[in-house]
Amino acid sequence: METTTKTPGVPTLSIQNLTVSYQAKRGAVQAVRNITLDIQRGEALALIGESGSGKTTMGLSLVRLLPSNASISQGRLIYRRVDAGKPVREIDVLALKTDELRQYRWKECAMVFQAALNAFNPVLKISEQFADTSKAHGYIQGKALEERAFHLLKLVRLEPSRVWNGYAHELSGGMRQRVLIALSLLLEPQLIILDEPTTALDILTQRNIMNVLKDLRTQLDFSLIFISHDLSLAAELADRVATMYAGEIVELSDVYTTFKNPLHPYTIGLIHAVPTLAAHRDNVTSIPGSPPDLINMPTGCKFHPRCPLADERCKRDDPTLETVETVNGAEHKVACWHWKSARAKLTSER
Amino acid sequence: MLQKIASNYVVKTIVRRLFTVLIVVTLTFFIIRALPGNPIDVFVYRLMDGGMSEEEARQRATVLFRIDLNAPLGVQYVEYMGNLLKGDLGDSYVVAQGEPVMKLVMANMPWTLFSVGTALILSFIIGMFLGMLAAYRRNTWIDHLITNLGAAIDSIPNTLTAIILILLVGVIWKLVPVAQMRGAFSPGMKPGFTLEFIWDVLKHWAWPGSIYVLTAVGGWMLAMRSSTLSALGDDYVTVARARGLPDMRILTAYVGRNASLPLVTSLAISLGFVVGGSVLIEGIFQYRGVGILLGKAIGSRDYPVMQGILLVTTITVIISTALADVLYGWLDPRVRVSGNQED
Repeated sequence: METTTKTPGVPTLSIQNLTVSYQAKRGAVQAVRNITLDIQRGEALALIGESGSGKTTMGLSLVRLLPSNASISQGRLIYRRVDAGKPVREIDVLALKTDELRQYRWKECAMVFQAALNAFNPVLKISEQFADTSKAHGYIQGKALEERAFHLLKLVRLEPSRVWNGYAHELSGGMRQRVLIALSLLLEPQLIILDEPTTALDILTQRNIMNVLKDLRTQLDFSLIFISHDLSLAAELADRVATMYAGEIVELSDVYTTFKNPLHPYTIGLIHAVPTLAAHRDNVTSIPGSPPDLINMPTGCKFHPRCPLADERCKRDDPTLETVETVNGAEHKVACWHWKSARAKLTSER
Repeated sequence: MLQKIASNYVVKTIVRRLFTVLIVVTLTFFIIRALPGNPIDVFVYRLMDGGMSEEEARQRATVLFRIDLNAPLGVQYVEYMGNLLKGDLGDSYVVAQGEPVMKLVMANMPWTLFSVGTALILSFIIGMFLGMLAAYRRNTWIDHLITNLGAAIDSIPNTLTAIILILLVGVIWKLVPVAQMRGAFSPGMKPGFTLEFIWDVLKHWAWPGSIYVLTAVGGWMLAMRSSTLSALGDDYVTVARARGLPDMRILTAYVGRNASLPLVTSLAISLGFVVGGSVLIEGIFQYRGVGILLGKAIGSRDYPVMQGILLVTTITVIISTALADVLYGWLDPRVRVSGNQED
């Protein structure tokens, strides 16, 4: 496949001040708060954090598939379509009308869901569901579609003839996940969101999917948002890592820096919570406490009730995400009052 | 090898179903005869009510009925089963003296199939539509209206609803000439495939038919609403939206098709019971059909007619459940029997 020349400075997706809240009985749940983030062309960005940190909500809001009790209360989403030899086309995602939105979904931005096990209609053949998707976007049909689908199914290391005329229930979990990934590539979207694509799969299948994804990244040209709570998977696939806590990005840097030189106490805690073969069992520590109540948020830094470094200032003032250094052209951003000393203090304590 | 298993499966199913028929026939044979009173007694009491002395009535009955009810039950049973194997359901004792039961049933069946069958299918279609509408408009006034009305209709016995409606619409408001609408067609009308006759039949059907639809629609509506809601919450529907499929395609092939699966089985079984007639249509509105015939047969203890109708009902219920199995397998690939003859 022909690789389009990367246009520097033209991010595929710009998220600006995105805020999403759910309407609950007790009040508004602020699941995503004031996130600003650019997804560059061809890059893979990992979104990590605990359950309930707003990762999935953010993913869903990018394709405007939020549940009916949720709404995007502020912000802008600017998607940029780059076709070789044509001027960049900007799409204001939040302003799309119903039919335009339908066209945007999957054609521009495909989302591979967490629950891929049930992602397929049980009463339609896989081939029919490819055809449905293709038809909905006025894409190829018939023999041409079959050829393209077979090519994609081979890319995700499936035997196309076995899958094509089957139903979802005849496939294993890992196979279904791979079929969904193949389907997500069908319309050549520029952006693919993978929401925990390997959760609920056994370790070997997980390995297999990760290899498929890494393969695809080298062969095809698309940007990727990889949502995961598994740091090791993020490390493997991503170029940049954004750590989310209580609906905010608290640290953003290239993948190497995130693991080598994390600055936010929460990121440091997450990394320490991962057991490694080399480290002694006692060195694995979890982060005390639990994620905050998103309706009655703590004052100041949202992480302060769980942070060993918290002081009066942290309880009072909320730190903003600021660039603290630039490593190899990539900005390292962190939202913490103690970023200078956090790593040294937290590592020596152990 | 596969062929063998498949045929085996079919053979096994057929044998099992035939066995069911045998059991039902046997049980009904003895239960019917265990009912208090026999055809002659019932006839005699009726004559005595008309002022005849018992002696006289009994004599008349013996002249009229050449049936021997004193033969041992076992002998009667063997004789009945023998005739049944030859396809002979026996002759009516009382309801239509001497007429073959088969002929009686066949004369009434089309009316029942038409009146109850059409109403059932109509109520199913309307119920599916309204149920989906309520689910799609969840928690709006439309949903509240449909759900509450559906629950109310569904919980009141349909005969009671019918009587209330007849009272209100027919007697108090006098919007429909109820008395003229009794029966399947106007007296004096000549049956045949004439436009006039068909129009008359439809007119007579409209009133009991629409009340049947009204009373049956509640159940279908509620069932369809809840299964649509559950389908709407399924992941593949969200994924279909993410895939940018048109709403209409999602509604029909993704939500509708999956949501209607559980209802198809109920419909097939209900269709099987159609041949038993409907108390609502035939009892209250005196619409011609198998139901009325059965009522009369029970009233006069006309054993062969009762037995014949119950047999036909049993067989159609068994056939329709078998049909439901096949249909379900066709609609839902997950339940197809392995080694099935499809493909």
